[in-house]
This record gives sequence, structure tokens and C-alpha cells, in this order.
Amino acid sequence: MISMLYFVVESMGSFCSRQQPLNEVDSDENKQAAKIDSRIAEETKAEQHIHKLLLLGAGESGKSTIFKQIRLLFQTGFDEAELRSYTSVIHANVYQTIKILYDGAKELAENEPNSLKYVVRADNKEIGEKLSEIGSRMDSPCLTKEIAKEIVTLWNDTAIQETYSHGNILQVPDCAQYFMENLERFSEVNYIPTKEDVLHARVRTTGVVEIQFSPVGESRKSGEVYRLYDVGGQRNERRKWIHLFEGVTSVIFCAAISEYDQMLFEDDTKNRMMETKELFEWVLKQSCFEKSSFMLFLNKFDIFEKKVHRVPLNVCEWFKDYQPMGSGKQEVEHAYEFVKKKFEELYFQNSKPDCVDRAFKIYRTTALDQKLVKKTFKLVDETLRRRNLIEAGLL
Amino acid sequence: MPQFQQHASWRLEGGGQVIDLETAVKDGILGGGGLPSGKDGTLGAAAEKLDLKKTIEELDSAAEDVPSVFICPISLEPMVDPVTLCTGQTYERGNILKWLSLGHLTCPTTMQELWDDAVTPNRTLHQLISAWFSQRYLLVKKRSEDVQGRAAELVQSLKKVKGQARVEALKELQKMVVAHPSLGNALADSGGVALLSSLLGPFTSHAVGSEVIAILVNLSLDSDTKASLMQPARISLVVDMLNEGTIDTKINCTRYIEMLMAEKSFRCEFMLSLSLLVALLRLAKDKRHPNGIAAALSLLEAICSHEQVRSSLVSVGAVTQLVELLRNLSPEGSVPALHILDDLSTIPEGLSALKDCPQTIPNTVRLLMRASEAGVQYALSILWAVCKLAPDECASLAVEAGLPANLLLVIQSGCNPELKQRAAELLKLCSLNYTTTLFISKCKLTRTIQ
Repeated sequence: MISMLYFVVESMGSFCSRQQPLNEVDSDENKQAAKIDSRIAEETKAEQHIHKLLLLGAGESGKSTIFKQIRLLFQTGFDEAELRSYTSVIHANVYQTIKILYDGAKELAENEPNSLKYVVRADNKEIGEKLSEIGSRMDSPCLTKEIAKEIVTLWNDTAIQETYSHGNILQVPDCAQYFMENLERFSEVNYIPTKEDVLHARVRTTGVVEIQFSPVGESRKSGEVYRLYDVGGQRNERRKWIHLFEGVTSVIFCAAISEYDQMLFEDDTKNRMMETKELFEWVLKQSCFEKSSFMLFLNKFDIFEKKVHRVPLNVCEWFKDYQPMGSGKQEVEHAYEFVKKKFEELYFQNSKPDCVDRAFKIYRTTALDQKLVKKTFKLVDETLRRRNLIEAGLL
Repeated sequence: MPQFQQHASWRLEGGGQVIDLETAVKDGILGGGGLPSGKDGTLGAAAEKLDLKKTIEELDSAAEDVPSVFICPISLEPMVDPVTLCTGQTYERGNILKWLSLGHLTCPTTMQELWDDAVTPNRTLHQLISAWFSQRYLLVKKRSEDVQGRAAELVQSLKKVKGQARVEALKELQKMVVAHPSLGNALADSGGVALLSSLLGPFTSHAVGSEVIAILVNLSLDSDTKASLMQPARISLVVDMLNEGTIDTKINCTRYIEMLMAEKSFRCEFMLSLSLLVALLRLAKDKRHPNGIAAALSLLEAICSHEQVRSSLVSVGAVTQLVELLRNLSPEGSVPALHILDDLSTIPEGLSALKDCPQTIPNTVRLLMRASEAGVQYALSILWAVCKLAPDECASLAVEAGLPANLLLVIQSGCNPELKQRAAELLKLCSLNYTTTLFISKCKLTRTIQ
């Protein structure tokens, strides 16, 4: 408040000084002030031309993967140093994964009715205990060939496989299979992660990360300038910092549609899809996004595709009125359209009448697929450019 | 010009002389329109003597520039069998014979009395007419083949090019389809329509999608094509374009969906999304573009005939928006809106939304006086439903709005008895809470109407 008052007094002062008679205007001080003013005006103008995009969504919805994809597509990508920096992350991910599976098998063996199928073979138990202990450490050791072999052995244990296929109540990461399949490569002495590996790597985002980029159009003219922000997805005090993003051009909300049968990391009694639903509702109601376009990325379609056949959508309360139809690809499409419709209804229920001009588009994505992300982003770019022209009255 | 033996010298307008039939027609002396000559300058010689009547019928669209001397003064149609009277005037045989058989013994154009009722076939004129139409027929044929050839080229190029080039090709194709309606069939047969449909997908850009729809909306598509166009991803694309496009694109998309809806296989629960309804309502409110308003209301009217969609429509605030719209619509333009509101009044949410909206009664009453019979029917139905729901509240509002006087006008007008019955019942409903004298004074009715 005080600083505001100071500012007002200051500007009043400079306003008065502009009214000075001509012979005093040439003083250096005034020249300086004018220079600074024009610099500020220029930079503000430049800022206004940067479209700000905010990635939002629940934890593990794919926001950071999208972020990485944009880096790979529109910036120089990852250099070797950065790729190397992911080695320890990937190794840690491997240990975490196998720990979750082993501990999970033990838990299921105790609690589930057909407990026998979750009981690990006697000779694998020692490996399991050892790996579980490693996985709980803050700093995991390097992944050596020997340990990798042990992990493979444990992974191939039928109990672990059973656990993996019923992994929805545990916190098994989606890329478990990818990690397990590539263990040999990961344990090489001179292992440098590939782009694919980096995309799968799982690091919980804390704080805010941003990148600025410019998707170059086909005519090679310089396109719009975008700045993409990625914020952490876990439950924390969102309401405190969300208003800092007031007036962003677009909110890109990521929702992993494959999670309809999974529970939250922070609270394993809460269904992840319900959390996403509540978060989306909350975001829609924020007045700071009243003018922002909403791009809804229904993500992890590749996992959704496979899951729909095994696990009916109705297990999620939000989708309890789902009626399956058809089989094979038709069934998948039908299920997808149902989910899409639910999100659409949610959007309109939670958008005030004066937000009706806000753009709202839904995209089906698989964040790990670079080609798809590129195509999707092309469409997002087109929409935002058209919006610009419409707002400028040129369309 | 080479010197030829002249068989008959007769002057034409403009001072030229007829050398021979082919030259006359070819060089456009009769205004044949500058026909292009072939490589050896004998396009005329290659012209077949086609059946004249059929040719004339087929070329009907080019009727404006037929030389006036070829036109029968009686029917104003080109003459197939010209005959000349003794006065020198020429008519179509059938027409002049009919004239004479009716007992007239005069020349229709000069009004002279005929000293001789013989009709002489005018072979010269017949040959000229034949040649002119044959030439024209061949020219049109050639142009249409050119058009078809160009269209086929464009379709082929669509398979190969991408991005801006694709958009340009589509734009050109669209212009051609609008200018040459016959192109539609050619496109369907050559697989062009299938190609265009295949361009619509989840990753189609707006630029490409809007041009494809602009073409498809001008064609008549068969059931199979329409069925394939009803895939959810393709419909979503069209809805997005309805939301974001120029006014022309929006209108095209609206008409396109209306066209698809007419198919039996249209599944409205899947196709008619909330986004579509919101987009249509937005279009209906855009005062800058009356065409858009009309198109949107037309589609919404068709949509409303499907009961399952009505509650969705109410949930996006259609009732309030349409009621407000009534104020600005012309009497004819308001009929679809009234129809929609009437349909929505059949569901509980719709009816209560109508009742809660303060403008429902005043705006509807205002239209009663000016609307057509169809409009009056819907207006009465809406007012009846609303007043029946909450007679106490609505009756006074209705009276304030001047409903009773309008109702009396309806009862006295020449509309059908059912409507009059309705109006009378509604009048009774409004008057229930008032004593007779109070009611009459409220309505400012005169003693005579009493």
C-alpha cells in the first residue's frame, strides 16, 4: 500500500515536470526519465505479444511430459550433458518401480482373497527384500549388470506379474513396463539416456518451470512467441499462487483418462479421476482465467485404449452411468466419446455465462508420442492465432 | 473477307452480310458469343446436326443470350419449327396454328389482317437456329469437360500437396463447384467426394476443414458418404469450426449438420454435443449477421424435434437467450424461435426456465399481434403452458403486457378455429383473478368488445 502511494507521488511528480516550460525540458534528468519510460513501454508491449500457456492438471497427468516434448520439438532439445543428468533419475525410477511392485505383492498376499497368486517364489524373496531396501533410500546406487539381472528375475516372477496387472490400487507408475524392458540398456557402463528414456523418466515437478519458444510455421516466417509454464501437480496450496497466472492466453489442462481406476499418490482412498474432476471444476471457476482459452488434453489414450477392455469405466463414480457398446476399436471410441462428453458437461456447468466466448477445445493426446504432440500443438497454435485475429477484429 | 457469290443480299444489323451459314454463326454476327475456332478454323464443320429440340432443352440455362430473331413472339421460346406468315413475320408452327384455329385471322405482331392463311416453313431460319444451338451446345460441352478436367486435376493434387497449397486447391475447387452444379456428380463418381471426406479427421487444420465443408455442403451426398461423415471425430471438427470460423464457415457448418441430420442413421445423442448447442446459440445472437441468425435458428429448430436433446439445450441457457432474441426478430424470423421455445416448454426444466425468465410473457405477447398463424400457434402454446404452471404470477404479468387485447384480436381474426379456442381459453385463464369490471378496465377494452 505504501509502495503504491510512493509510486503515485512519483508519477505525479513526473507528470508535473512535463508541464514545464520548453527551455527546461532539455534537462538531462527529463531525458533519462523519458528514456526509461519508453523502455518500459517497449518491454511491456513485447511482453504482451508473448502468449503465455499454463499447464495444469493433477499429479502424473502428463504435464511435464508435454513440457519435455515442446522442448524437443521447438527448442534445441536435450544436449548430452542434460541427457546424462537423467541417468541417475532413471536408475532411481527403476528401483522405485520394483520396490513398489515387491511391496505391493506382499500387501496383496496379505489382504486379497486369492492371496496365493501374489506370493513371491521362495528363492526370489531375498532379492525382493534387498531391492525393497535399496528403493527406500534417498540416494540409490548405480544400476549395475548384476542388480539388473536380479531385477529381471524378480520381474519375471508370476506373483510380480500378477501384481503388475492388478496394479491400480498401488502406485505403480505407468512406465513400469518400459523401464523393466530396457534394463539391459540402462545398466550398461556407458549408458546415456535417449530422448525416449528422458520422456519416460519420472521426476516430481516442484515449483514452476518455464520455456519460451516459437513454433516456426511452414513458410519459415517467424511464428508467434509462446511461453509455457509447468507447475507441480500434487495437492498443495494452489489457491495461493494461481492468481499469479492471471490473464494467461491459454490454460492447457491435462487429464490422464486412463486413471479412472487408480488412487492418488497423496491419498490412496481418493480416486484419481475424481480428483481430476474436482481440480478441473476448481480451475474453471477461477476468475483469473475468465478470458483464457481452455485446451483440454485427454492424455494417456494409449493406456486407456488397452484398459477399457479389461476394466469397465463404471468403476469410477463419475462414469457410473456408462453403458458399454460394441467391441474392439468401436468400444474404445465409444468409451472415449463418453469421457469426452463428461468433461464437456463439466466445462459448461462450471463456466459462467459471460465466459461463453472463451475458446474451449478438447484434444486426444498421448504425450509420449512426439508426432502426435507435434500435430496437436499445431492445432493449438492455429486456434490461438485465429483467436488473436478475431479479437483484433480482422476475422 | 473472300468474295463469294451472294445468293440473296440482305442486310443485317451492323451492316454485315451473310456469307455462309457457318461463317455467320462462327463469327458471332448474330451474337453467338465469340466461339473459339478449332485448329483449322472449322469448328462449325465438325458440329453435328443434333436434335434441335433436345439441344434447346439442355441448354436452357443459357437462355439469356439467344438472338431475338430466333424467339417466337407468341411463346417467347426459341423456335424449333419456324414458319412464316404472308406478312413476313415468323412464329413457332404449333403456336401460330393454335392462334389461327382460335379464329384469329390477324398477324399477332403486326395486327394486320391476313390475306392468306398459309404458313410457310422458314427453312433458312431453321438452319440458322440449328447451327447456332449446335455450336453453343458443343461449346458448353467443351467448357464443362474443361471444368471436369480441371476438377479432376485438383482432386489429384489434393492427394499430394499439403498445407497452404492444399488450402488453395480446395478454394479453387469450391468456386468451381458453386459455379457448375453438375460437377457434383462427376466428383462423386471419380472418388473425389471420398477423398474430400478423408481429409476430415482429428488433426485437420481449420483452414483445410472449412474449405472441405464449403465444398461438401454444395453437393448432394449419398447415404454411405453421410454415414462415414458422422464419425464423432469428424463431427467434433465441424463443431469446432462452427465455434471459430468466419460467418460463412459458420453458416456452411450449420447447413452441413442440418444436411446430415436428415439421414435416418443420425444418432442425436452422440452427434449433438453441448459445444454444438452453445455454438449455435452464439451464432443466433450475432446481430451483425442476420443470415447466421436464420441458419442457426433453423438448425436449432430441427434439433429440438429430438426430445432427448431438449434438456441439454435448456441446461446451456437456451431459454433465456432465445426469449431475449424474440425482441429483435422479424415476425417471420421469430417463428423458428417460437417453435423451439414451444418444444422446450414440454419438459419441466424448460417450462420453469420460461416461467422464471421475466421477458417471456412480454416478448411473446408482443409477437402475437404481428406473427403469422404458425407463430401465433406457438406463442399461444407457450403462454398457455406458462400461465397454467403459475396462474397467479403470470396472469398479472400477462395482463400488464397487454395479452387480453391481443387475444381478442386473435379470436376475431381469420385464423383457424383451434387457435381461436386456445385464445379464448387463455383469456379465461388470465381473467380468473380479476372481477369482470376490473379486468375490463385493466385491459382498456371498449364497451363494444365487451
